[in-house]
Amino acid sequence: MIMSNRLPESSSEVVDRSKPIRFDWNGKKMKGFEGDTIASAILANGDHILSRSLKYHRPRGVLTHDFWDPNLMVQVGDEPNVRAGHRRLEAGMKISAQNVWPSLKFDAKAANGIAGRFLTAGFYYKTFMKPARLWPVYEKVLARFAPGGEVDLNTPHGYHDKRYAHPDVVVAGAGPAGLAAAIAAAQCGASVLLVEHEYEVGGHLLWGTDDDRAAAATLLAQAAAAGVEILTNSTVTGRYEDNWLGIAQRSHPIAVERLIKARAKVLVVAAGLIERPYVFQGNDLPGVMTSGAVSRLINMYGVKPGKCAVVLAANESGDQAVEDLKRADVEVARVVDARGSTTVNCAKGSRTRIKSVEVSDGSSIDCDLLVTAVGWTAPTSLLNMSGDRPVYDAAAARFFPNSPPDNVLATGGITGDGSRDELIAHGRATGELAAGRANAARHRIQAATASAAAVAGDEPEYPSDNRAPLTRADHPELHRSSTHGLVDYSEDISSKDLFGAAAEGFDSVELLKRFTTATMGPSQGKLETVNTVAILAEARAETIEQVGTTVWRPPYAPISLGALGGRVFEPVRVSSIHPWHEANGYTPILAGQWVRPEHYGDPHAEVRNTRTNVGITDVTPLGKLDLQGPDVPKLLSQLYTNKWMKLPVGGVRYGIMCAEDGVVLDDGVTARLGEDHYLMTTTSSGAGGVWNWVENWLQTEHPEWQVHVTPLTTGLTSINIAGPNSRKLLSRLVDCIDLGPGAFEYMQVRTGTIAEVDNCIVWRIGFTGELSYEIHVPSGHGLHVWNALLEQGEDLGVAPFGLEAQRIMRLEKGHFIVGQDTDGLSKAPTTGMISLLKLDKDDWAGKTEVAWALEDDYPVIVAVQPTDPKIVPEEACQILRDGTREIVGRITSSRHSPTLERSVCLAQVSREFAVAGTTLTVLLANGERINARVMEHHAHFDPEGERLRG
Amino acid sequence: MGKSSKLARYSAAGLFWRGIRKQSWPRVWRQPAMKSTYDVVIIGGGVHGLATAFYLASNHGINDVAVVDKAYLGSGGSGRNTAIVRSNYLTPEGVAFYDRSLDLYNSMSADLNINVMFSERGHLTLAHTDSALRTMNWRAEVNKLQDINSSLIAPEEIKKLAPSLDISTDTRYPILGALYHPPGGTIRHDAVVWGYARAADSHGVDLHQQTEVLDILCEGGEGPEGKGAGGRVIGVRTNQGDIHAPVVVNCTAGWASQLSNMAGVRLPITTHPLQAAVTEPTKTFLPTVVVSGSLHVYVSQTDRGELVFGASVDPVATYDQRGTLQFTEELAGHVLELMPGLSKMRLMRQWAGLCDMTPDYSPVMGPTQVDGYFVDVGWGTYGFKAGPVSGEQMAASVANNNLPELIAPFALSRFTEGVLVGEKGAAAVGH
Repeated sequence: MIMSNRLPESSSEVVDRSKPIRFDWNGKKMKGFEGDTIASAILANGDHILSRSLKYHRPRGVLTHDFWDPNLMVQVGDEPNVRAGHRRLEAGMKISAQNVWPSLKFDAKAANGIAGRFLTAGFYYKTFMKPARLWPVYEKVLARFAPGGEVDLNTPHGYHDKRYAHPDVVVAGAGPAGLAAAIAAAQCGASVLLVEHEYEVGGHLLWGTDDDRAAAATLLAQAAAAGVEILTNSTVTGRYEDNWLGIAQRSHPIAVERLIKARAKVLVVAAGLIERPYVFQGNDLPGVMTSGAVSRLINMYGVKPGKCAVVLAANESGDQAVEDLKRADVEVARVVDARGSTTVNCAKGSRTRIKSVEVSDGSSIDCDLLVTAVGWTAPTSLLNMSGDRPVYDAAAARFFPNSPPDNVLATGGITGDGSRDELIAHGRATGELAAGRANAARHRIQAATASAAAVAGDEPEYPSDNRAPLTRADHPELHRSSTHGLVDYSEDISSKDLFGAAAEGFDSVELLKRFTTATMGPSQGKLETVNTVAILAEARAETIEQVGTTVWRPPYAPISLGALGGRVFEPVRVSSIHPWHEANGYTPILAGQWVRPEHYGDPHAEVRNTRTNVGITDVTPLGKLDLQGPDVPKLLSQLYTNKWMKLPVGGVRYGIMCAEDGVVLDDGVTARLGEDHYLMTTTSSGAGGVWNWVENWLQTEHPEWQVHVTPLTTGLTSINIAGPNSRKLLSRLVDCIDLGPGAFEYMQVRTGTIAEVDNCIVWRIGFTGELSYEIHVPSGHGLHVWNALLEQGEDLGVAPFGLEAQRIMRLEKGHFIVGQDTDGLSKAPTTGMISLLKLDKDDWAGKTEVAWALEDDYPVIVAVQPTDPKIVPEEACQILRDGTREIVGRITSSRHSPTLERSVCLAQVSREFAVAGTTLTVLLANGERINARVMEHHAHFDPEGERLRG
Repeated sequence: MGKSSKLARYSAAGLFWRGIRKQSWPRVWRQPAMKSTYDVVIIGGGVHGLATAFYLASNHGINDVAVVDKAYLGSGGSGRNTAIVRSNYLTPEGVAFYDRSLDLYNSMSADLNINVMFSERGHLTLAHTDSALRTMNWRAEVNKLQDINSSLIAPEEIKKLAPSLDISTDTRYPILGALYHPPGGTIRHDAVVWGYARAADSHGVDLHQQTEVLDILCEGGEGPEGKGAGGRVIGVRTNQGDIHAPVVVNCTAGWASQLSNMAGVRLPITTHPLQAAVTEPTKTFLPTVVVSGSLHVYVSQTDRGELVFGASVDPVATYDQRGTLQFTEELAGHVLELMPGLSKMRLMRQWAGLCDMTPDYSPVMGPTQVDGYFVDVGWGTYGFKAGPVSGEQMAASVANNNLPELIAPFALSRFTEGVLVGEKGAAAVGH
């Protein structure tokens, strides 16, 4: 294996020739060095075509050789869209070309190139309309042309992590100005995070002169000495409200990629400049490169980019490329100085490489390399995200920052031109300003924080911006030559396409972008936007300022879903009794965030035992809010539909809550534990929502109410003890609470000690329809109390029951469940609890809507029994008007009742059908229609409630 | 009457001949000078406004119509939505309405002679819990009776439709089933905008971009400057000058309530941003639309290979259209929960649009208490799906100065009469 294009070793390179690396490119074994990019290694081995274009499948080679190079997207193992001009080579990499069929060398889709003149931008909007039935076929064909690599659906998630950082100053970009800014800020006492997109700091100094590289090394040493935290191969991906920054760290030693979320007091944007390609016929031929690409390949990677070059130079970067080429023993056949009036008209070549260049003076020069240095794009994305709208300066031929907010400062090439020392000086001034502003901000924040210790000294003055600006060097405006060429390489969009689209009326930047898809590819316009705008301006015979530009949105550079998602942390909640459930053969069921026991083997047996003896069940997920303060009754009256001003201490009351539209939001019981002390319970699924709802009323509607809310859902373990023996069982565990029928009645609450655990709450309610108590004990003792109940109740026949048995028993008893028997449309009257809807009460959430609903027709929840007791209609079965397909209701809950030995249901039906004794037609899922009867009471079992009150 | 222009028909043959002759296509719509008077001024150059204009001209012969937009056509919600269409709603009103919209989308490419790339790829709404499964079942049963193709399917069948989904049962949010709606799908939203714009223009409608309405001019109303109930509209003031018109239709989103205030008509609307994001393209692997209400995410893959994600609206009311980092974090976490193999895909762009939310998650359509001032607003997160049918019905409403039956449930008066529409349950994350 010889690396045919590798130059002799030099002091400027970042590759380490002592560390060879083997890798695989499209099945070919190749060798590179540590420090190589994927692209430089492939080029060194003599291959120069790395991809095929989107639409015409034309061969593509290096264009800019950096992260933004649209021609260098490759697949590495299971990772698609890897930037081969940026990503460092690693041993064993399996690299392949994307979007080629059957191979990179011979691509059948290149046939599209012949049809090019018919495939103008947006051609697909104009065809494939008829016959309509064929469009899905066309669509499949088009989809096959989707660019990009392949996702391996078995890709492991990998280890991703997140970090929070609170630096005073974040500097985005570690070129000379960024480095200098970071050093100066740190020397002024600021904590500084310096983030560099590339693998090394130094920016353009890295591919400059030996002096440049020496300067970069000095700056790096100074930064380290000043305590700057430096992150390389990391990108500030977004600037959000109040300098909340997203930073993708791709260089973490363990995590595949880490998202750092930083709240910076000041953000310094030192993103440098991106070299712009030039638009002319043949500008996508392999062998046409920017000057930066050439200098990087030669100086950093020791790769010879060609044998014979023509250089189009409009600036010093072009001049440097000439010097670099000569040093690399590349013949420079002609330097076309674009600072004069000459330029390149077009390039010609074979299908795989440029062969000659036609210059505007009429001459034609043979070459295999055309280097362009025609100007810069200022990557102002982070400034855009800060609210700044950069302005175009025609004399300098690029955009400049306009007026970013005070806590965002720009420095370096993005703001102007200068020598290395001038850039460093501007960076230093910016760093000092950033540190000063960060210091003032820190002072202000501390002073405003109630808990902070007294702030030392007077508030420092907020420093104003007295930096001497960098000058702006004149630069010719070179966007397009006299011929048409590609503007967006990743989308295969040419200047001709743009002219055509503008002529068709897509003549504003946004419409043009949307119609042609120019700037919408993976580099999101970093290379393409300015040329697109310039060509639109040309088409409209206007200036770039008049045409305006598009808005750059986050992220600055694409960020992996893995990094954004982090470890994917979705906690599961379990009660303190959970270990017992697990050890005793429970079947788990997921209920919202909770895992609960559905049953312990036989739910019907659990029902029978509870109805005959006594059962206990873990109801910890019930939402619990501790409410304290003199205004709690007002709050309860506002949220519940019924009255709460006169609930006595020791009383428990049931209530229904409505949203503003009168729809049932939640229900539950609330107990008055003391003079100003209440405990509210909510449904399990509604716990979070009700807490929000309560806080919303307290914080935004009635801030004057004195109510303190503490969520206690997980702080208390809740156990329901139900069945004829429940009183006997509980009395064995409590001494100081009198459980006697006269002393502790239905819908009352007591506090005291249970199984030697203090601060327990007991109330007597009856969701299951049995004599039952619900106890709430500090959760640390939940398992202890549960075990005590089981031990003490052995002779009473105690056994646990799960969620399923509870659901059966409540259905037998006819209790509705919010969200199951009601839905997003059910207003309070639907529950049938008309007596709880107190329209004579001053105000409550949903009152107006409920009053309206009461005057109107509304569906009603009724108990229903199928005529055939063996048939259990599926929940959600529709109830129809007999002989029609008209829906008049639906079954909302249904079970076989082990107590009654028959099927029992709850249903929502329109009022017309809600009359007791009505025969309903139920459409089963299998299409069969059966009859069912509307019952007199909601309760199928013990309608008088004798067991409950016993 | 506006001037009609002849439509240059789009076709494969047209592409071919113009390719051969190196001929360019004519302007897709004219750039007319703004007149001082129109019969109808429509505010908002999105799908709703343009469709209204088109149907006014094509169905009712009213073509002295101006559509004004403060930016470019499709710059608001029409160009920011995730372009999902479906009709498996819950209420009879919802179903009838969206089904008509789906019909219009289905025939749109032929009707408007532009390929809107309607991709009937199927729409999956995932259920992760028992209760979600019950709700899906309910929707399926209702849809069955309404002749909407929508049914509950099991995880194995889901896996066949969308192999990237993880249907194993030991995940945090296991996929227990899904509501499958084969006629649902995606469409190229910009093409819909351009299709209606081009068709309206060819019928003589004047399109005025970069024309911002500064005031709605009224007389005779009980409020200041003759605005408000009992008055009538006489035109609009724009940054390009005044336009006199006896009919003004507010087809805006994001600022609909502020605009309506200019006519003295208050709307029960709060405005929330809704965020969306797109990944880099890859070869396609997700052939259907996938929605998960529990995980607040919906996702589809374009023919270009990009995954397009959306979420539910941000909880805070604001006009700010900047995206947040938190959104992308939650989104990615939820997507990876559903499709764990995507950790190496990269997010390429995020954005936000504004959604005008009404209390009952349904729009406000038709005439108002100001004579000649019509609204087609409050479209929340579901406006794009309803664009065509809204245009058709609003055109009928304006032409006949009444409220057509199909949109009668959406009258503004419902908020004072207490007959809200019940789509909240179905539309909460209903994409």
